Amino acid sequence: MAGEGDSEPRKSFKLLGFLDVKNVPCARESVLYGSLGSLVMGLGHFLATSRVKRSCDVAVGGFICTMLGYWFYCRYNLAQQRIRQRMLKEGMRNRILFEGSYLDPEKKQTGNERSDS
Amino acid sequence: MANHSQFGFQDASSPIMEELVEFHDHALMVALAICSLVLYLLTHMLTEKLSSSTVDAQEIELIWTILPAIVLILLALPSLQILYMMDEVNEPDLTMKAIGHQWYWSYEYTDFKELTFDSYMVPTTDLPRGHFRLLEVDHRVVVPMESPIRVIVTADDVLHSWAVPSLGVKTDAIPGRLNQTSFVATRPGVFYGQCSEICGANHSYMPIVVESVPLTNFENWSSLSSS
Repeated sequence: MAGEGDSEPRKSFKLLGFLDVKNVPCARESVLYGSLGSLVMGLGHFLATSRVKRSCDVAVGGFICTMLGYWFYCRYNLAQQRIRQRMLKEGMRNRILFEGSYLDPEKKQTGNERSDS
Repeated sequence: MANHSQFGFQDASSPIMEELVEFHDHALMVALAICSLVLYLLTHMLTEKLSSSTVDAQEIELIWTILPAIVLILLALPSLQILYMMDEVNEPDLTMKAIGHQWYWSYEYTDFKELTFDSYMVPTTDLPRGHFRLLEVDHRVVVPMESPIRVIVTADDVLHSWAVPSLGVKTDAIPGRLNQTSFVATRPGVFYGQCSEICGANHSYMPIVVESVPLTNFENWSSLSSS
C-alpha cells in the first residue's frame, strides 16, 4: 500500500525561529555540544575565579566556539562522506556498464599479470 | 514542487542544489552564533548601570574589527567555491534551448533531430484530478537523468526567467541575448518551476516542468516526438 513503511517527515524545531535543528545535519549535535561546552567553561571559570559576570562572558564565548568548532568538524566529515558516496555510486555504475567488456579494469589487471608472468 | 506554507528549499535534485542547501545551512549556523552573541550583549547591557568611564577602547575596537572579518571569510569562501562551481560546463550530453514568450515557453532540441515544441500552462478548468494548479503544462521538458544538460535561455519579446528551484537553476531570458546554464538531474522525477521575471499580465501563468527520465525513455520520447 502506498505510504506503508515510509517514515513520516520529521517536524521542524527552529532555534531562534530560523535554524531547523531537527532536519539540518550536524545542527542538533553542534547546539548540544555547544551548550555542554558553555556549561563546562562557564562553571570552570566561576569555580576558579568566583567572578560571576566574567564567567557568564566565558560561558557565552565557550558556547559559540564549541558550537562552531563542532559544526565545522561535522560538516567536513559529512562532505567527505558525500564525496565517497558519489565515487562509490560512479564506481558501481561503471562496473555494471563495463563488466566483461574490453574496458573492464579487472580484465586489464589480470591481462597485465599474465603478461608479467 | 513546494507544499503549501513551505518555508524552506525544495529537496535538491542536482549536485549544485545540494551544495547550495549545504551552504545555506552553514550560513544559518553562523547567523545563529552571531544572534546568540548579540542577544547576550543586549541582555548584559540592559542589566548594567549606565556609566561613561570608558576612555580607551583599543581592545574592543580590535575585537569588533577582526571578528566580523573572520565571519565574512567563513561565509565568502564556500560561497565563492559554489559560485565558480555553478559556472563550470563539463561536456554536456545534451544542449537545449528555452525561449520565453508572452506567456509560454518554447523548447528546441537540435542536437540530433529537429525537435521543437511550445509549453503552455494547463488551465485550471482543464486540469485532471490530482494535478497541480498553475504548475502543469501541456508539453514537459524531458531530459535524461544523470547526464549534464546545457540550457541556452533567451526570450522573444520581453524579459523572462527560466527557473527550476529543485535543480538549482535560475537564468534570465533576455531578448537578443543567449544565456547559458547547466544542470545534472541526479534522480528521475518531475521538477516544477515558474517564470521568475515580471513579463506582463500572465507572468504567473507560464510554468516550467522538467521531467527527468532514464536514457532509454528519453530516446523513445525524442523519436516519438520528432516523428
